Amino acid sequence: MSTGRLPLSGYNVIDVTAARAGPTAVRQLADWGANVIKIEAPAAIDQNRASLTGSRHGYDFQNLHRNKRALTLNLKTEEGKAVFFDLVKEADVVVENFRSEVKFRLGIDYESVKKVNPRIVYGSISGFGQTGPYGKRPGVDQIAQGLGGLMSITGLPGQGPVRVGIPICDLTAGIFLAQGILMGLLDRGKTGEGQWVHTSLLESVIQMLDFQGARWLIDEKVAPQAGNNHPTGTPTGVFPTADGHINIAAAGTNLFDRMCAAMGADDLGADARFRTGEDRTDHREEINERISAYTKTKPSDEWIDIMNEAGVPCGPIYAIDEMFANEQVQHLGIARSVQHSQLGELKVVGQAVNLTATPQPETLRRATPDLGEHTDEILAELGYDAEKIAALHKKDIV
Amino acid sequence: MSESRLPLEGYNVIDLTAHRAGPTAVRQLADWGANVIKIEAPSSISNDKGSLIGSRHGSDFQNLHRNKRSLTLNLKTEEGKAVFFDLAKKSDIIVENFRSAVKFRLGIDYDSIRKVNSRIIYGSIAGFGQTGPYGKRPGVDQIAQGMGGLMSITGLPGQGPVRVGIPICDLTAGIFLAQGILLALIDREKTGEGQWVHTSLLESIIQMLDFQGSRWLIKGEVAPQAGNNHPTGTPTGVFPTSDGHINIAAAGTNLFDRMSDAMNADDLASDERFRTGEGRTENREEVNERISVYTKTKTSDEWIDILNEAGVPCGPIYTIDQVFQNEQVQHLGIAKTVHHKNLGTMKVVGQALNMTATPQPDTLRMATPELGEHTDDILAELGYDNDKIASLHGADIV
Repeated sequence: MSTGRLPLSGYNVIDVTAARAGPTAVRQLADWGANVIKIEAPAAIDQNRASLTGSRHGYDFQNLHRNKRALTLNLKTEEGKAVFFDLVKEADVVVENFRSEVKFRLGIDYESVKKVNPRIVYGSISGFGQTGPYGKRPGVDQIAQGLGGLMSITGLPGQGPVRVGIPICDLTAGIFLAQGILMGLLDRGKTGEGQWVHTSLLESVIQMLDFQGARWLIDEKVAPQAGNNHPTGTPTGVFPTADGHINIAAAGTNLFDRMCAAMGADDLGADARFRTGEDRTDHREEINERISAYTKTKPSDEWIDIMNEAGVPCGPIYAIDEMFANEQVQHLGIARSVQHSQLGELKVVGQAVNLTATPQPETLRRATPDLGEHTDEILAELGYDAEKIAALHKKDIV
Repeated sequence: MSESRLPLEGYNVIDLTAHRAGPTAVRQLADWGANVIKIEAPSSISNDKGSLIGSRHGSDFQNLHRNKRSLTLNLKTEEGKAVFFDLAKKSDIIVENFRSAVKFRLGIDYDSIRKVNSRIIYGSIAGFGQTGPYGKRPGVDQIAQGMGGLMSITGLPGQGPVRVGIPICDLTAGIFLAQGILLALIDREKTGEGQWVHTSLLESIIQMLDFQGSRWLIKGEVAPQAGNNHPTGTPTGVFPTSDGHINIAAAGTNLFDRMSDAMNADDLASDERFRTGEGRTENREEVNERISVYTKTKTSDEWIDILNEAGVPCGPIYTIDQVFQNEQVQHLGIAKTVHHKNLGTMKVVGQALNMTATPQPDTLRMATPELGEHTDDILAELGYDNDKIASLHGADIV
């Protein structure tokens, strides 16, 4: 299937992102077929390239920047900016996640870009929004997880705030921005005009609060730490087994009865105090303890088979290696191959969504490029001759 | 702003979803302007309306199903299916999240629809994928959080698995599916043909693992529980203050020096062992303890001002009510207003994304509809006359 068309084939994207949130947006476009040019400062002018996404050949960088070509360009020079605007003329999308004022200082903000190409869809991510009292504050995932309330509802009641084990604000900001860019392209199809679309780590984690946010806005109830139990559906949570832990989600009365039958837990099924969902939640601690007495008697794998056989949602709590080794995960094929010219064949994390007519190739189109790997090729596509390219190299513009 | 255009205006969506993952996908389309018809079983034939989403007038349901119209329809009758296919002929998109086998049993799967409308884009969400060894298993968020490895990397080392405080598998599956639908719309502009797009709770959470996934796939390293510290950048984490906790993210050496300076922590800045990022991570426990000695001396608000003034990312760890009261969150306007004819005016959680030419209205177009609220309107739009509509009501088809 790797030769099939992709939905974003033919769209040109200029990627001036760094760190994680912006690159996550671009990855969505790159994986789905866009022609992405990643712009980075030339080696000569950037002394401090280290970041939380690690070294270029590390697992994080290689997973984050596949399916794009690399161009070095010094945007702080007039000549570098001239190259940038030559690229803009041919582009559909520009994506950036500088601190909010940097694009204006560099003169590559939406209004500036629109003057040479009104069809551009320009995507931005900031920490806390493009404007407002925190518009200029430095924002990173950890800060947004706390500011957005997520750390107050993750973890066991009373243990103090808990961070989610993935950089969820970065990732969701990137995914929301990519969605906005797609809508900007669809809208452009009708109007012929691009637009500026932007989000922030803070807005993204707030949207992700979903019902925990609506609970405050509508009910004026402040969600406490959720622990490992579903806040209202009982039993739904983590239970100990003979060799570890499992998840069971048997909140409805039908499911509860099926679970009791499958465990041979007549005492639970017959207890008149546990017949309704409300009753079960009122007695959650006792119910969970009594379920645990049963679950401790067999290993996790046995319970998972027994429960699923009985139609009760139940599953393992995997470490990451166990997860990728699982037969269903292997069937889904979400670990994708990519060929790197120096690192050889790597596996990276593929796209969650399956487009049956335009699927993500089993082997990705490109590995993460080395710094400036495609500079000459890209400049030649702009019609620059060898002499001009050499001159740009010499001045550390590219 | 509610008079301005929205990017998905003119697209017709049939919404067959229930629970959370499917409705989250549809909400993305509805909020951005699509004409969504939510199909539900008539009250006469559905005796179990209870679900984890709660009652129809509850905060969760009202937040989840805004911006759509409601049609009741019994899909288990031939007459009901005939109405469904009349709608399908005029639609662009169908979204469902039944268990994977159900759409085939009902005869409303993608291939059946394509026969009457080859432009249809058909979106599906399953628990673990449409096929494979777990293709028919019941899947819910809790199970996918454990199986996808997320619970093994959330929480403090050694405390046992920890669930994330939001239904992250449901939400991200919905968001990825919405993105897949937009990609397919873009593809359809070129080919004239729709396609089936699908994802699952499991695939979505695996994509969200991001570098924690590629860490295993590329480096062969199993991520442990991340706790409240960034796994590699030190100091990044939660610190106690005189009245609570704050997040500080000062991992780079420049930031570390700025932080030490702002705290007057000369002992930290001058400690030779802490001069590099690696040195700080190796001595993380000591670094964090010594920072805590300082942070405990002032209130959270004081430190947040002092450190941000010094250019060091620092922020509060808010409960949900505090989030929505924060001045920056109020500036962003993400709590949007909606008018419900029975419940009055309320606030719901808006979109994270800002589209400057086609913004989300401050007052949403429609509140969550009552069951079947628009049945007669929608049937009339299909050209059904009063007699036919009355007879469908009489037979409990709608």
